[in-house]
Parts: sequence; C-alpha cells; structure tokens
Amino acid sequence: MSSVWLPCGDYHENYLKDQGWWQSSFIKVKMILLLAVVFLGIPFLAPEYWIGVATMVGYTSMGALGVQLLIGYTGLVTLGHAAFIAVGAYTSTMMILQFPWPQFMVDLGLAYPVSILVAGIVAGLWSVLFGLPSAKVKGFYLILTTMAAQFITVDFILTQYVSQIGGRGQAFSLPPGTIKIGPFVMETEREIYFLMAVLLTLIVIGLANLLRSKPGRAWVAIRDNDIAAEALGINIVWYKLLAFFVAGFTAGIAGAFWVSNTAALSPEHFPFFLSLWLVGVILIGGVGSIHGAIFGSIFMVVIMELLQMAVIPLAAYYPKLLVDFAYIKDAAFGLAIAGFVIYEPNGLAYRWWQIKNYFNLWPFSY
Amino acid sequence: MVQGGALKEGDTILELVDVHMHFGKVAALSGVSLEVKKGEIHSIIGPNGAGKTVMMNCINGLYRPQKGDILYKGQRINELKPYQRAELGLSRTFQKIELFGGMTVLDNIRLGRHIQLRSGIVSGSIYVGKTRKEELECRKFLEEEIIDLLEIEDIRDKTVHMLPYGLQKRVELGRALALQPELLLLDEPLAGLNLEEVEDMARFILDINEEERWRVTCILVEHDMGVVMDISNRVFVLNFGNPIMDGPPAEVQKNPEVVKAYLGEEDLYSTRR
Repeated sequence: MSSVWLPCGDYHENYLKDQGWWQSSFIKVKMILLLAVVFLGIPFLAPEYWIGVATMVGYTSMGALGVQLLIGYTGLVTLGHAAFIAVGAYTSTMMILQFPWPQFMVDLGLAYPVSILVAGIVAGLWSVLFGLPSAKVKGFYLILTTMAAQFITVDFILTQYVSQIGGRGQAFSLPPGTIKIGPFVMETEREIYFLMAVLLTLIVIGLANLLRSKPGRAWVAIRDNDIAAEALGINIVWYKLLAFFVAGFTAGIAGAFWVSNTAALSPEHFPFFLSLWLVGVILIGGVGSIHGAIFGSIFMVVIMELLQMAVIPLAAYYPKLLVDFAYIKDAAFGLAIAGFVIYEPNGLAYRWWQIKNYFNLWPFSY
Repeated sequence: MVQGGALKEGDTILELVDVHMHFGKVAALSGVSLEVKKGEIHSIIGPNGAGKTVMMNCINGLYRPQKGDILYKGQRINELKPYQRAELGLSRTFQKIELFGGMTVLDNIRLGRHIQLRSGIVSGSIYVGKTRKEELECRKFLEEEIIDLLEIEDIRDKTVHMLPYGLQKRVELGRALALQPELLLLDEPLAGLNLEEVEDMARFILDINEEERWRVTCILVEHDMGVVMDISNRVFVLNFGNPIMDGPPAEVQKNPEVVKAYLGEEDLYSTRR
C-alpha cells in the first residue's frame, strides 16, 4: 500500500515532517481522540462485560501483531504462534510462583513486570530456535516447521514436563495478589484492561518505529524479493531470525499478559487452533499492515461475542445450539475467512486506506 | 579491505582469474579471465546463453564458481556471501527487474542504503534520537544525490509495481546507487526500453561513471551495440562460456571472430544511430 495522499493544500516543508507520524492537525486530533477513547472512554464508560471483550481484543491484537510481522512483513508463514504465547505465559507464571524473589521486589510489585520482560525475551529466543529452519526452507515447508513448534512446545514440553513442576497438577493458578505492578494489584476488569492498553500501545509504537527504520525495511525487502535483498547487503538469515525474535517477543508479552487476565494457566489455553485463529485475524484485517492486525482482532472478537449473544436467546427454542456453540464459532471463523479472501483479499485495512484517501482527496478525487 | 586506501584511476579493481562454472554437464563459463580497471565502463557482450549473466552472478556472489579466483581490490572474495560483497562496495541491477514490489519508490531506494545505516532493533523501535537523525540524513542524501540525478521526484511515493517498465529500471539503478558502490554491475539496463528511455539511461550511466561525485566503475552487460560501442572503455566478448577477446570497442568491431559469433556480417551496431 502506498502512503496516504495528503489533503489538498497540505505541504511538507522538511523531511522531518514528511517522515513523521501525525502529519496534519486533523490526524493529530483524530489520534488524540482515539487515545482518549482507549484510555478513558472504554475503561470508565463501557459496561464491565465489554471491558472484558476489549481486553480480549487487545490480547488477540498482541498475538496477531507478531504473526503480522512474520507473515505480513517478512513473508515467513507461521502456524505455531500460540506456542510462543504459551512460552511467555509459562515463563511469567513460573517466575512468579517458583523464583525466590527478594522480599523488597515483591513488596514493590516488581516481580510481575520483570517477569513480563523476561517472558518476552525467553519466548523470543524460543521463537528463534524454531525460526532456524527458515534459513533453508520457504513457503509450505516453513509452515510445517513452525507447526512443529506448536506440537513440540505445547503438547510435549509444556504438557508433559513443565506442567508437572511443583506438583500442582495440570493447571497452575496464581494466588490473588501475586500479579501486582507497583502498588496496583491486577484484579478488576478495568485494571487488566489498562495493563493491556499500555502494553498494546507500546508494542504498536515499537513495531511501527521498527518498520520505518533499517530492520523493518530489510524485512519487507526479504518478503518481496530475497535475492535482490541479499545483493544489496542484507544478511537474510540474520534478519529472518531477528523477525522471529521480535515476533516471539511480542508473543511472550501477550502470554505474560494473559496470565493476569485469567490468574490460571493450562496448556489448553494455547491450542493449535489459536495459531490458526491469529493467522485468520490478519487475513481478515489485511496482510502487511499494523492496522490490519488490530482491525482483524476487533472484527473477530466482536463477531464472536455478537454470535454468542444471538445464540443465548435462540437457545430457548433450540437447546442444542448452546451445546454446539463451539462448532458454530469455528464455522463462523471459517466462513469469515473464506468471505474475506474472496471478496476483500486486502482486508479491512485496505478499506480503511480507501476511506482515508477518499476524504483526503475530496472534493476533487481525480 | 586488505590493500587499504583508495585505488587510483586505472588500478585494477576487479579481476577474474580462470573462472570455471558449470551446472551439471553444462559448462557456463570455461576459463574466463577478466580485468576491470577503476573508473572504466567495461562491457560484456555475447549471444544469448553466452554466460554473461552467470558471470555477473559469480562476481556478485549469487553463484560460486567451481574453479578460479575472483579478486576484488586484490582480495579474494570467492567465499564471501552476496551481502558481504555489497559491504565491500559492490552493487548491481538485474536483468529482469528485481525491485521490492510492495514498497514505495522512496523505500526501495532507502533500502539500497541498508549497509550505510546503523540502527538495530532496540534503537529502531525507540526511533527518537539516533534512528531519527540517521533516517533524516539518509533522506537528505537520497533526495539530493539520487532522486535529483535520476529525475524521479514525481514518483517517489508511488508503489513500485504500479510503475511503467522504464521507470522501474530507473528506480533499480537508483537503488543500486544508494549503496554508494565503487563497482556497479549493470545487467541489461537498456533491455525493453524505448529510444528516449535508452538515451536517458545511457546518460545516467555516463553521469555516474564520469561525475566527480560518483566515479563508479561499471560492468555493463548489454545487447544494444550502439550504446555499448559508444560508452564503453573496453568490451569483453563471450561466446558460450569461452572468452573471445577483450579490448577497446574499435578493435572488437574489427575482430572477425567476434563478428562471426555475435555481431553478424552486417553492420548491426550502427542501426541505433
């Protein structure tokens, strides 16, 4: 997608402005409004239930952004992203439960924030490990090696070994009060939502910045034409692994965040279907766009909520609907992807781009 | 760089010594030796399938010859990967356009500056400070030196795959130049262009070769004999993997073997005038 046209009469007078974000005052107002909605509107005005839904949107977005970086920007098709989210979640939980924290760290509420960072790094390195085959294989073959990440990590290592640590049985639960950031204990929907909003905002800013600097351009170059990229001085293997690291890092943070949302953890939270789901999210939102990952998450999570709302009243007449809801959800997911791939292959982000251009060029659209 | 210091005009910048390259039983290059002097435009001509592009790929590192040495500024670079050779100051364009289709023209050219930039994932994701300064300097260089030279101001924000062929060729040249190479491999830069575009492109090649600012040594693979004979300092003739001769254009035109192998009996190279 090329850049958005400037509205009539707007000019840039220096490169700083031309390369900056928020290029016109209209965009500035728009973005500040958006931030106000995210940080004030939703947490303080929306009903608690919808705050929870917004948290799910954020969690999905964090996962999808990593997938977007790999598939949409670097062209490395991955079907094992849930594994890296799981690694992040387990790293964070194990650190909180098992690590001998000095008392002052616990008192100051630093244990969880530190564990988020460590979870990101561990998941990133784990992701690099499974990214190593990308040095040699591409396309379908790479899909298989990333699927291996899913099965090896979640079904084998986490279920068979990590879950046994501490003898708590399959599922871990975090005692109330252990998930604490500074003085804030993550308990209500609103607090969890705030944590999500901050993390997601940081991830979006970081990724968007990366994509307009040297590493981001190298990734896109590898996606579009790896031979030319190498001839122009890009160390392809290094940048592919870097992409895996950054994607794994965001996944790890998403996983560590997930722990605060549920206060419990089991391998069933990270099924193969979650990996598929994240790929579906970016297909619907638009491949190769940060907007896309977020639009896709909003669309999928909200559609599923609406579906659920529709099913509950109908269940009075067809009780079987409630029993079969899981299948209805899967079917709707498949249908949505099929519909988008056929009718809007560029995803929701492309529609958004068209709308923006329409208004920027209005009234002279030629 | 082993030899240290800049080479003078007329020093050997690239040398191929008895290079052999074969794919299975097909011998693409058999015993090719070539010496390219700094500051020259050295053309490689030959019929289709002669091995010209294979030669480019060997110099560039996409292929590794089975036998023979490739010396860049006296340093043996056989084992270096393409990106390492790019870091030594070797850049190229491709016969079939190999641009990054989804990126804008500006981003394509910016990418050419990859090896000059220093941002990593940490400074890149923070952006403010080091990376921003670097990006602004990069932009200034590209606008003043490359976009201005190649006259592509009006298309800088367009996505590359939407552009006409001639402009894509020009963007590709710009991308190769952004690297600030010392040696530039041009693989058929004129193929598929109309007469006016050919004239523009030939002028660009002469500009980057002769202007004090650039002084880029060029290796040119081209079928357009009019242009080749006009702008080259030396011409190397290749026929099915075998070198025929290497010399100034005037000598090449007179060599009976070259005429038989490639130029043909008639005065084909003068058709463009």
